[in-house]
Formats: sequence, C-alpha cells, structure tokens
Amino acid sequence: MSATPASVRAEPVERPEFERTPLDARKIGQIERPLSVVERMWNVQVVRNFAVLLMFVVLWEAYTQIANVKPLLFPSFSDTCIALYKAFADQKLMAKIWFTLQSLLIGYAVGLVAAAVLVSLASIWRVWADILMTATAMFNPLPSIALLPLAMLWFGLGTASLVFILIHAVLWAVALNTFVGFQGVSHTQRMVGQNYGLRGVMFAVKILIPAALATVLSGMKIGWAFAWRTLIGAELIFGATSRGGGLGWHIFENAEQLRTSQVFAGLLMIILIGVIVEYVIFRNIELRTVRRWGMQR
Amino acid sequence: MADVKTDPIERPEFERPSVGKANTADVARPLSTLEKVANIDPVRKFTVLLTAIVAWELYTRVAKVPPLIFPTFSDTIVALWKGFTEYGLASQIWASVGILLAGYVIGLAIGAALSFIAVSSRFGSDILGTLTSMLNPLPAVALLPLAMIWFGLGAKSLIFVLLHSIVWPVALNTHTGFMSVAEPLRMVGRNYGLRNIRYVVKLLVPAAFPSILAGMKLGWAFAWRTLIAAELVFGAASEGGGLGWFIFASRNEMDIPGAFAGLLTVILIGFFVENVIFRNIEQGTLVRWGMQSS
Repeated sequence: MSATPASVRAEPVERPEFERTPLDARKIGQIERPLSVVERMWNVQVVRNFAVLLMFVVLWEAYTQIANVKPLLFPSFSDTCIALYKAFADQKLMAKIWFTLQSLLIGYAVGLVAAAVLVSLASIWRVWADILMTATAMFNPLPSIALLPLAMLWFGLGTASLVFILIHAVLWAVALNTFVGFQGVSHTQRMVGQNYGLRGVMFAVKILIPAALATVLSGMKIGWAFAWRTLIGAELIFGATSRGGGLGWHIFENAEQLRTSQVFAGLLMIILIGVIVEYVIFRNIELRTVRRWGMQR
Repeated sequence: MADVKTDPIERPEFERPSVGKANTADVARPLSTLEKVANIDPVRKFTVLLTAIVAWELYTRVAKVPPLIFPTFSDTIVALWKGFTEYGLASQIWASVGILLAGYVIGLAIGAALSFIAVSSRFGSDILGTLTSMLNPLPAVALLPLAMIWFGLGAKSLIFVLLHSIVWPVALNTHTGFMSVAEPLRMVGRNYGLRNIRYVVKLLVPAAFPSILAGMKLGWAFAWRTLIAAELVFGAASEGGGLGWFIFASRNEMDIPGAFAGLLTVILIGFFVENVIFRNIEQGTLVRWGMQSS
C-alpha cells in the first residue's frame, strides 16, 4: 500500500456482474440429523477423558507385555496395581501417606496464617508493604528445598525442618498474590465498603477478600503446588541422608532396592493425591465462589 | 410481600452546634526533600534491604550466634568471594544454568507442539487435558529416582525431570489461553484467511499471550525448584555438580557461610530471571499491547 495524500481520490474498482444459477436442493443431502447414541456419548467430556485414560492404560500394559520390557526398568500396569495393593498391605503405605499429609497440612496452614498476618500489616502501613514486597522479591525465587540443608542443621531431622521449608514454600507465593490482588481491588468497591462503615478486619473479610478472591485462590493454588513439590523433594533428600517417613521416602527406598513396580505405585499415589487436591478440592472451591460469582469463566 | 407498605421511620430532629471558623491552614503544602525521597519506590525498598542486612549483621555480632548456626553477613560475603575464587562457584553456576536452559528450551518446544496438536482437534485436546491433569500435580523430582535408573547419573536424568516440570504447566496454560480467545478475534483471523500454523502464530499466540507468559513463568519456577532439589538429591546420592550440590557440600563440610553464599547466589539468579528477564518481556509485550497495567 502506498501512502496516498488525502486529497487524491481513488476510483472504485469495477467488478464485472455475474449471476449464480440456483443449486439443486436435493444434492445437498442431510442438513440436520439426530445424533446416534455413540456420538452423543462421545460428546460427554467425562466419557472422552475416561476413554483417553483407558487408552493410555491399555497402551502401557500392551507395550510392556509385548515388547518384554524388563520389569526393573518399566513395570507393566498390572504389576504396578499388584505392587500398590502390596504396599498398602505389607509396607504400611497408609501410614506413610498420613505422615506426608500431616506435615503438608501443618505447613500449609501455618504458611497461610503467616501470609494473612503479613498482608494485613502491609495493607495498613506502607512500611510493611515495602518490607513485604522486598521480602517476596528476594525469597519467592529461592527454592525452599535449598533451605533444607540449613533447616536440618537448625531444627534437626524431623517434622520441624519439613514444616519450616513448607512454610517458606507457601508463605511468599500466597502473600505476593494476595497483596497484589488487594491492591487491584477497584476504588468503587472500596468506597462501597467505606460507605457501609466497614473497617479493619471486617473491611478485609467483606470487601477485599471477595473482590480479590480470584487472585487469592490462584496464590493458594501456586502455594499448594510449591509445597507439594517441596515436600516430596525433601522426603527424597531425607531418604538419602537418613531414615525418613512419607511418600517421597517410599519412592526413594524402593528405587534404591530396584523394586521399580513399588516406585510406580508410589508415583500413582502421588498423582492421585495431587489430582484430588487440584481437581476436587480447589475446583469445588472455585465453582462455589469465583465461577458462581462470574469472576472467572 | 411487594404490596405491604412500611411506614417511613421518623428520626428525631436535631441541630448541630456551630463548629467555629474553618481552619484551612495546611490543606496542601510542598513536601520536604526527605518526604519526596521517601516517596520513591526503589529508595524505600533499598532502605528495607539495607535495614535487613544491618539487622542481620548486628544480631549475629551482638548475640554472638555461633557461625556454625547462623553466620554474619560479612562472613557470607567473604565466603561468596572465596567460592568464586577458590571453589569454582562460577563453573557450578554454569553447570546449573546450562542444564536449566537446555531443559527450558526443549520443554517450551514440546509444550508448544502439544498445545498445537490440542488446538487442532477435539480428541487432541482431550488427550492433552487428561495428560496434564494427571501429570501436572506429580512433582517432577519424584521421577528422579526412576530417571536415575533409566538414564543413569548425569545431565540426562536432570534434563528429563526438568522437561517434566516445564512441559505440563506450559502446555496447560497455553491450551487454556487458546481456548479462551474471544470468538470475534477468531473470526477476524478467519476473515483474513489465516489457517493452521499461521492462525496459531498470528492470532492465537498474541491473543493468549498473558496466559502463555504465566505458564512460562510457572514453568520456570517449577524448573528452578526442581533443579535445585535434584542437585541436592544427586549430591546426597553421588557426587554431582551445580549450585544445589554446592550448598549441600558446603553444609556437609560444616562450611555454613559457604552454604549461605550458595543460597545468596540462588536468590540473585532467581531475582534476575523474574524481575529482569520476565519483567522486560512483560513490558515489551503485555504492557505495550495494553493487556496488563504496568
């Protein structure tokens, strides 16, 4: 396109006229037809996801059975299921899961409370806002697992060190997201709150948190993801340096003894717990709050 | 209930006593230099940082904390200097960053390919959806013992777990970003006759860029954490290399200032990536395109 001065008028292009002959309607065929049962089933999201899952399991089983993969390297699906059953029956997997979840819950809860305190301080005084922003900028990129060697020195081997690094994993991600979310609450909504005479805690609970819930929730989800990854990593290192408990240790111990099917069983449990937390707990919270309120599609 | 009328509540009348003459002395006054300086964001943050460092140094000196438990700031700096000059910290950093970069680039490529397949057909989208929902909650470092069986001790296992930690968040975020591109935008693309790869590159990617960038940032965060954890486990399981191993080795030799120096380096690298590299990408794209404020 060349830049034409505004005063020059381009003549409209003349296109030749033409006429369409009408099509024979009978040739078009079916315009609309009822879907068959299979097609209707296939349109259900859950059915398709389940089919994909089934396909993967069948592929896995078929591949390991046909290609004669050594069970030491890659056990078949059936072996893994048997190992999972055995783990529950013989290796006290339930107690290990409980051990892992216990530290996770304590660390997560304390981390959330600490984040809430920090964010409240930061919303009231500007100095605290500066402290919070500087601290998160410093500590958020620091993988909390890197603190584990020091935590083991300070708190010894045990739940205290685990909880310490879990708090570190949760605190900064949640505090950062919550604070940024609070700052993004529109002035109109704040003024509505002030009109109602809300102050302090009530103002935060009734105005700031609902208005910023989408960000707060995403912070909580990231915090959970970091905590979960940190915990498994920490248990692996614990397993490497001394006797631990928990799921990560189950994987490490069985990998050391080349019981690969047990490792797969442990991984399966980790996936299962992760799926439950992300797709049952957090999804339900989202459905009941931010989606119902129309803040998120 | 609509036809029941409630009588208006009658409030008693009252009269305010005179509040006196309005005092309008200090409605607006020029800020003093100190106040103006204190209003600059970087100045305040730098002050906070400086205060923290001074408090750290003072606390460790005055309370006579044993350096084995918590070294002073100056010890840490000395250890950092020594790390660079004597213990080859620079090459350890390079070992970590090199593997991280390799894993990140390959992971982004795989994530992009997966989301392209997912966006081109519904079945592909189902496969990606099921895979990510299964594998995203699986911490990559849990795969490390398996990777060590499959690929042996070395860079290959590290890259494998890094790939696992990058691919799923990137693919998941890219895919949800693509899915939530507004219909008018899609129609504009079709009007221009964009198809296949050009449709994705010219229309979907820019429109879904906030979500893609969020995925890339999340992928980086997971990869960074996974790498350090993996190096720690490697350090525990055998002699490795890299920053995580540096921290682990320093701590094992009770060289706590060395471990702090390692942590400081980890913080610096993380800070640089998040607040310089990603911030610049954001400024050059999202902020410039008006998709995100500041």
